[in-house]
Amino acid sequence: MSDRRTELEAAPWGGRTRRYDLIKEGVVAVVIIAILAAVLSTLFGSPDDKQITFKDWATAAPADFYATSVQELAGTSGTAGYGAPYNTASDGVNLGPLHLAKIMGVTHPVDTVNDFVITPLTTVSNAAPVADALKLWQASDAKQQSTWATNYDTALTKANQDASKVPTGDYGPVPELAAGLLTMAQAGSLDGALLSQGNYFQSDNTKQTLFLGDGSYFNDQSTASNLQGDTWGMMNETGRYPGQAWLWLYSFWYQIPPFNNGDSHPFGANADAWIMVIMGALSLGLIIMPLIPGVRSLPYKIKIHRLIWKNYYQEENL
Amino acid sequence: MNLKAVYIHIGWFQMSITNLVVVLSMLLVFGLALVLPFPGNKKGKGQK
Repeated sequence: MSDRRTELEAAPWGGRTRRYDLIKEGVVAVVIIAILAAVLSTLFGSPDDKQITFKDWATAAPADFYATSVQELAGTSGTAGYGAPYNTASDGVNLGPLHLAKIMGVTHPVDTVNDFVITPLTTVSNAAPVADALKLWQASDAKQQSTWATNYDTALTKANQDASKVPTGDYGPVPELAAGLLTMAQAGSLDGALLSQGNYFQSDNTKQTLFLGDGSYFNDQSTASNLQGDTWGMMNETGRYPGQAWLWLYSFWYQIPPFNNGDSHPFGANADAWIMVIMGALSLGLIIMPLIPGVRSLPYKIKIHRLIWKNYYQEENL
Repeated sequence: MNLKAVYIHIGWFQMSITNLVVVLSMLLVFGLALVLPFPGNKKGKGQK
């Protein structure tokens, strides 16, 4: 900083002054905003939609639930192939050579075979076919289990998720296990069985959310409510309630190339990571704006302050 | 309010009518804050 500037800034103010009660203004602003927030959220705050349960899913779309259960056993579901923080099946999103999730490691291990299917089935008393299937599965080695599940998953996919059209084959106990889990879900006991795998205080819904997300039913509900990423879902709410409009800039990047194509590399497939970097850079730019030459001089050119304090500038003929 | 939302969809731009009303309201409040005089900000009140 130049000596002249330091001198000017240290000199006492010679212009007009006025009394100003900062505390009073702060209190009035907080009270008004608090009242507005309470009234507006009461009038326009969206009610939470009824929670989607496994019973809802298994009842409304039993074929989808059944096929998803088979995918969990075969390791072909979205969760099974996700990578960190749940498993090591893939590298996850990357920024060039940096695989962000992989660097952090498997911090929340999820074994879709046991966590989603086998363990829940062992918590209830099953009918004979399911109980026998469970015994056979647990007595077999991992390679045999994988062969059975993969065979049935492939056959079920070819049959368009219609179990009645799957030809006979080497599926082992997989059809009975999936049927047993479907029965369990329809009875409403799967939700609790998945939740009870957490801590003493059961507040970790990760497994339920992942399992629900692997099927089509949950995804279809999001699409119907315009809550998908490609329809600005980040800033939408259910029904006609106003959403999080201030998140428009985060959502905006997902709507434009190259980020709106989830299959394109390197950006679309890693959109989450790249958009995080873009928003981080923009946020940093906002923080250090007073230090950026040119940008920090914009107020002198835009002159909005002269509009706000127009009375002062008129009176002083400035 | 629980009815199916109505959306304006032009190319890549898509916004619900409700969100649009909120955004336009924010812009309106900003514009008013610029042009409306401060309460009690009358000539002669300042001290020299």
